[in-house]
Amino acid sequence: MTYTLSAPPHKKTRLDFKTLNISKIIALLPLCLAAIYFFGIPALGIIIASVVAAVATEFGIQTITKKKVTIADGHAALVGLMLALLIPTDAPLWIPVVGGFFAIAVGKHVFGGVGSYIFNPVLVSWVFIRSAWSAYMTPASIPHVGQFSDLLLENGAGLMVGVSPILLIGGLYLIYKRYVDWRVPVAFFATMVALPQIMLFISGVTALIHEGVLNPLMYMSQLFTFLDMSPELPYAMIGATFFGILFIATDTPTSPVTKKGRIVYGIVCGVLVFIYGYFSNYVDGVFYGIFLANCVGSYIEINTMPASFGTMSLPEKIYRNIMDKIPSSLKFEVIENE
Amino acid sequence: MEIKTLDKLPEKIIIPLRQHRGAVCEPLVKKGDRVLIGQKIGESKEYYSSAVHSSVCGEVIAVEESAHPDGNKAMSVVIQPEDSNESVPFTPCKDLKPEKLAEFIKESGIVEHYGVPTHTVLKPKGKKIDTVLINATSSEWIGGTFKTPKEYASQVMDALKLLMKAAGAKKGAIVLRDDDKESIDAFEGIEVDKKKLRVAPLVGSRKVGYYYREQNSDIVVLSQKRIYGKRILNFFTYNVTGRKVKIGCDPTDVGVAVCGIKSAKALYDAVNEGKPFFDTVVSVEGVSDKMEYISVKIGTPFKDVIDHYGHTGDIGKIIANGVRSGVAQYTDQVPVTKGTTRISLQKPEEVIRDESMECIHCARCVDVCPVELIPARLAVMADQGRFDECRQIHVENCIECGDCAAVCPSKIYILQLIRYAKDAIEMAYSDMPAKESSNLKLGCGCGGE
Repeated sequence: MTYTLSAPPHKKTRLDFKTLNISKIIALLPLCLAAIYFFGIPALGIIIASVVAAVATEFGIQTITKKKVTIADGHAALVGLMLALLIPTDAPLWIPVVGGFFAIAVGKHVFGGVGSYIFNPVLVSWVFIRSAWSAYMTPASIPHVGQFSDLLLENGAGLMVGVSPILLIGGLYLIYKRYVDWRVPVAFFATMVALPQIMLFISGVTALIHEGVLNPLMYMSQLFTFLDMSPELPYAMIGATFFGILFIATDTPTSPVTKKGRIVYGIVCGVLVFIYGYFSNYVDGVFYGIFLANCVGSYIEINTMPASFGTMSLPEKIYRNIMDKIPSSLKFEVIENE
Repeated sequence: MEIKTLDKLPEKIIIPLRQHRGAVCEPLVKKGDRVLIGQKIGESKEYYSSAVHSSVCGEVIAVEESAHPDGNKAMSVVIQPEDSNESVPFTPCKDLKPEKLAEFIKESGIVEHYGVPTHTVLKPKGKKIDTVLINATSSEWIGGTFKTPKEYASQVMDALKLLMKAAGAKKGAIVLRDDDKESIDAFEGIEVDKKKLRVAPLVGSRKVGYYYREQNSDIVVLSQKRIYGKRILNFFTYNVTGRKVKIGCDPTDVGVAVCGIKSAKALYDAVNEGKPFFDTVVSVEGVSDKMEYISVKIGTPFKDVIDHYGHTGDIGKIIANGVRSGVAQYTDQVPVTKGTTRISLQKPEEVIRDESMECIHCARCVDVCPVELIPARLAVMADQGRFDECRQIHVENCIECGDCAAVCPSKIYILQLIRYAKDAIEMAYSDMPAKESSNLKLGCGCGGE
């Protein structure tokens, strides 16, 4: 009888790259259907054009360079689909075709294919077509925020991605299934929520300073502004932001791999998006912000390398230093090892 | 848990003369000799070696190179057993002096399942051991002559005392797995030196030293979550005692001896019955969820163990020592050695055939790594031969558990790449004098002492 010889481990997860991509596509399907329902046939045309262009480009490049053709793993289709959602529906059909080509050719294969690109191909292509043909790429309307019902159906959505933020719930399911890591989205969203409130607080305090108020209680009372809703806050709930948080920022090759690094990356994304959005508009701000965060992704990664296990972190060291100086009779601490 | 005994005599018994890393024993028998149960058939003058005994009574039919479960071939004594229980006289020697005990352990052929003779762990040259740990986190029930779990617990406790006596250590601890209810119940409330002990969990920064003080005892029973892997000793020592073992050293450098529960049990038997180490308990898991514990004689071919397990039908893969980091076998005529703990079977359709692709930086390996490494980065560095950068991100900490490779969606052979880097660094270290390695900072952090 013959036995198979192979290297350990002999049992592995069934999850593979193809499953990850396909499940992301499935998570985006409800949004696509809603977009097609509201925007009509042009939306369908753009999605098809973009996906076909992306897949054809991948096939062409891999055939010409005599590499293994990997269109079956769904990555090109996912990139094409995500790009299509960022294109206004009244753009001519050649825009998504150029975009899909640019995303795969320049965004992905110029950098060396899956796992090597430093910028998300979707964002590379979006930045390119947004700056080259800004007349076509400016959405007809921007989201009007303020009502809770916007979470269900966004008023004045100009892009397909903004049709219905609630339909992006598939992204949450991906996090639940651990197909997507939770650290980046949670840190990103928390920053997007916290920053407007902090801005509100700061502006309240500066207003008091301008009035020349001396009573410290007045300043303290400004802390209650954290309970009010900042006018900027609803922008953390629009479709484009949700899409950025759940699908673009979590793109694995462009985010750091270290645990701390992923949280820092999420915060950096949030800060950049907020700055862009605060001074200009949130729909563009999300994509430019994440694009810039991609630039610092590897810098964050190499600076958050974990130490060897059992090494004390800086706060622990400081705590230990202080506690060691206190005589043991004064300490409540019972944990001592040697 | 029930332990079955393999009582059917196999056609032949293959006893490798290499039961651990280090020196290979010289055969003491030749073809045609008749050997008895417990007769010494191999020994070596080297310090780093342990004697080998026959596990059956029969005739030596060959002394030849034969398959070894670590994947290579090793010089082995092949014995045709006969149906007889004739054995050399076993004399219990309960009142051995501590100095003699180490020599006795070597003579009894007791080795650790991770491949080191026990006496080199307990009495390392030039080092002082002050704490003995029994690691019962991976193989909990070891069979033998006990009737109730309580009796098992007290036997292990006696074995720990023997190990401490051999090492000259003042303190000792038994570490259980925290999801192994049966063992924890057995040890709960055990009396040592007229003090009742309770099983103490290792949580947060409470290490063994805390429990020595809290329970006011030199022996404690601890529990922690399961860790497994080929090189867990340094991590295990840190987890239990809080002592950090420097890179390139082993736990004995910080005064800790880590023993497996099988060697503890073997020592107990050797002292109380005079029996050398020639039988062991292996767990067999296979195609269904059925897991069986079978007590077998050292040298029994895997085939007989699998037959006793009751598996019929095609087998795609036979794995020694666990599916995570074990070695796949090319034949079922490999013998059970002292280091064998588990035999796993896979059906032909269960055998995985994956093709690895580029890393997609999904960071799953980072999330599962128990020792806070970045396996994906290590794999890339090792692949490109950048070993000094591997050192900078602590490749030596890897316990080789294989979790990273098991969860990888790109199916990268991370475990092998990390081992490659570790081996390359180790070789560079043995070749290179410590003083001249200024640019690489190679070598043992504590000066090799």
